[in-house]
Amino acid sequence: MIKFIFKAILRDKNRSILPVMVVAIGVFLTIALSGYLTGMLGDIVDQTARFQTGHVKVMSRAYAQNIDQLPNDLALLGIDKVHQELENDFPDYTWVNRINFGGIIDAPGSNDKSKGQGPAMGMAIELFSESSGEVGRLNLTNSLIDGKVPEKSGEVLIGYEFAKKLKVKVGDELTYMGNTMNGSMTFAKFIVSGTVRFGVASMDKGTIIIDFTDAQQILDMANGAGEILGFYKDEVFIQEQTEQMCDVFNAKYAQDPDEFAPIMKALGEQNSMGTYLNLVNSVSSMFVIVFIMVMSVVLWNTGLIGGLRRYQEFGIRLGLGEAKGHIYKTMIYEAVIIGTIGSIIGTALGIGVTLLMQKYGIDISGMMKDATMMMPTMLKSKFSLHLLYIGFIPGLFAMVIGNMLSGIGIYKRETATLFKELEV
Amino acid sequence: MQDKIIVTENLVKRYPVGDGQFTALSNINLTFEKGEFSGVIGPSGSGKTTLLNIIGSLDSPTEGVVNVMGHNISTLTHKEAAQLRNMHIGFIFQVYNLLPVYTVFENVEFALILQKRNATERKKEVMQALEWVGLENMANKKPSKLSGGEGQRVAIARAMVKRPQLVLADEPTANLDAKNAHSILQTMKKLNQELNTTFLFSTHDQKVMEYLNRLITLEDGKVASDILKVGNGSPTEEKNAQIKTAQ
Ligand SMILES: Nc1ncnc2c1ncn2[C@@H]1O[C@H](COP(=O)(O)OP(=O)(O)OP(=O)(O)O)[C@@H](O)[C@H]1O
Ligand SMILES: [Mg+2]
Repeated sequence: MIKFIFKAILRDKNRSILPVMVVAIGVFLTIALSGYLTGMLGDIVDQTARFQTGHVKVMSRAYAQNIDQLPNDLALLGIDKVHQELENDFPDYTWVNRINFGGIIDAPGSNDKSKGQGPAMGMAIELFSESSGEVGRLNLTNSLIDGKVPEKSGEVLIGYEFAKKLKVKVGDELTYMGNTMNGSMTFAKFIVSGTVRFGVASMDKGTIIIDFTDAQQILDMANGAGEILGFYKDEVFIQEQTEQMCDVFNAKYAQDPDEFAPIMKALGEQNSMGTYLNLVNSVSSMFVIVFIMVMSVVLWNTGLIGGLRRYQEFGIRLGLGEAKGHIYKTMIYEAVIIGTIGSIIGTALGIGVTLLMQKYGIDISGMMKDATMMMPTMLKSKFSLHLLYIGFIPGLFAMVIGNMLSGIGIYKRETATLFKELEV
Repeated sequence: MQDKIIVTENLVKRYPVGDGQFTALSNINLTFEKGEFSGVIGPSGSGKTTLLNIIGSLDSPTEGVVNVMGHNISTLTHKEAAQLRNMHIGFIFQVYNLLPVYTVFENVEFALILQKRNATERKKEVMQALEWVGLENMANKKPSKLSGGEGQRVAIARAMVKRPQLVLADEPTANLDAKNAHSILQTMKKLNQELNTTFLFSTHDQKVMEYLNRLITLEDGKVASDILKVGNGSPTEEKNAQIKTAQ
């Protein structure tokens, strides 16, 4: 019987092509969108981790509470001890120091006039330590527009839009004006070693990067750091693991009343990253549910139209002595076969597009010019194994539900009525 | 009792129409014996199809008892009714007899697949049935490539392939020209004689009536006359005519 159903599907293009197409398109969209969402949100999370949050971050309690204000006056001190502890307890992680600071940058021109001036977001990272991996982590070498990554103290890397605004080039001098950790004024001169395109509009327009040790000196933060970021050495981020780590670390200081005692926060707890992470999951599942419902209704209707055309066939089969229940069952088999074919096509297409989008991506930097959010400027999809079933199962499901719903109409009809549809 | 293949007792069929009911068959009492080659005639709307459908267990009576091969049609479940048709009753319809996606061979084979017969047996029986109707060369053609007469002959082959005890043919010649009509009627008559299959027709067609041994006339859902012919003669030559039931 299955063989007979198969033959009919292959031969009756009207019966198969439309539903196969509907299923294939639905499955394709689910997979392509899901792959895209995973890719995009994953990129946001990844980018945020690299630039801002780490997989985990250690700060002083007071700093953590006022983190939005770049409160370097509340920075963590005695960091050599903290580092020792972190490296002992969590050897799977790389621990790097960072200082985020604000200030004014001035580009001195000829005869004491300033070429340009503007507020700057400063990022101090361990530029000269190879073991920190920071240059690679922030992808600085590849992001260079001009010049090179700083190689010695006193050099600065600057966002390329910012450089344009200040009218400075590689080799030019910049003056930094800001406050030390203790609140007194501080000045420093830097030489521009290179301009970079971070791919994040807000950073391109106002960020400078200097070496961590330089910042410690300028800001009077000996043996201090705003933040110590921890990066899992495998680079693959596991949310649960970081949360556990935080619990272990923070438990050690639970009894310490000092507001400058260190505290560890996981990526998910910072910058509303937790919300993003959950969003990835809930958006995908919502999409799948909506997809099943819409597809079912569409396939229900195509099934009904097909069913009307097929009253003749059902009448003949009833006359031949096929039970109604059996006809209904064969409709379901048919749906399984058609749903499988459609789902295979849709899955293949969806994964193909996802892999292409993962490799090449779409450049949206033009659209992102004014974005202040930490948004990647390349749209990239991400392939993951769940794409293999995320479209396939709903595709099959929708087709079967659609046929079941349309089949009920046939099932409910009186045998004789169905049969009389034969007489036209 | 053994050779009474169909017995209807006070059969009434009403259809709900709007608020009221429409009586399609009223008080039909008929008995058919094994091997009969008989037909129901009557004007359009007189209830011929309704009667055949009830006998074929596609529909059930509103009142009365219809017994087909020892089965009370009213008490059969859907499944049992399907089983009865599957094993013992062959249907031939006026139009749309064949499943267009399947070949001639597969159309005939379908009946045997439903009986879960094995492939070698199916092949043998299908080819035999196609020989009966003279279409063994057309086995691999699609129905759309057949003439109307050939299509009806495939339908006969499909009804006959399972060697049913009863064949119900609802206006089988309605779409055929005279030559084809005679040809399929001869085929059916031959099968009736060779296999002792009982045939029950519904028809308006004078050509069909010529072949029948018994003519039951329905008018407004009632049996108006029931004439048994002797031999193969035409109704005008009828001898020994007897009214079995008349109301
Ligand atoms: N499902 C139904 N509901 C209501 N009325 C019906 C139904 N089926 C048949 N009828 C009515 O019952 C009557 C008998 O119908 P039936 O199809 O048996 O006639 P028939 O003798 O086969 O006619 P024809 O020669 O046109 O095929 C008709 O008046 C028809 O309209
Ligand atoms: Mg009729």
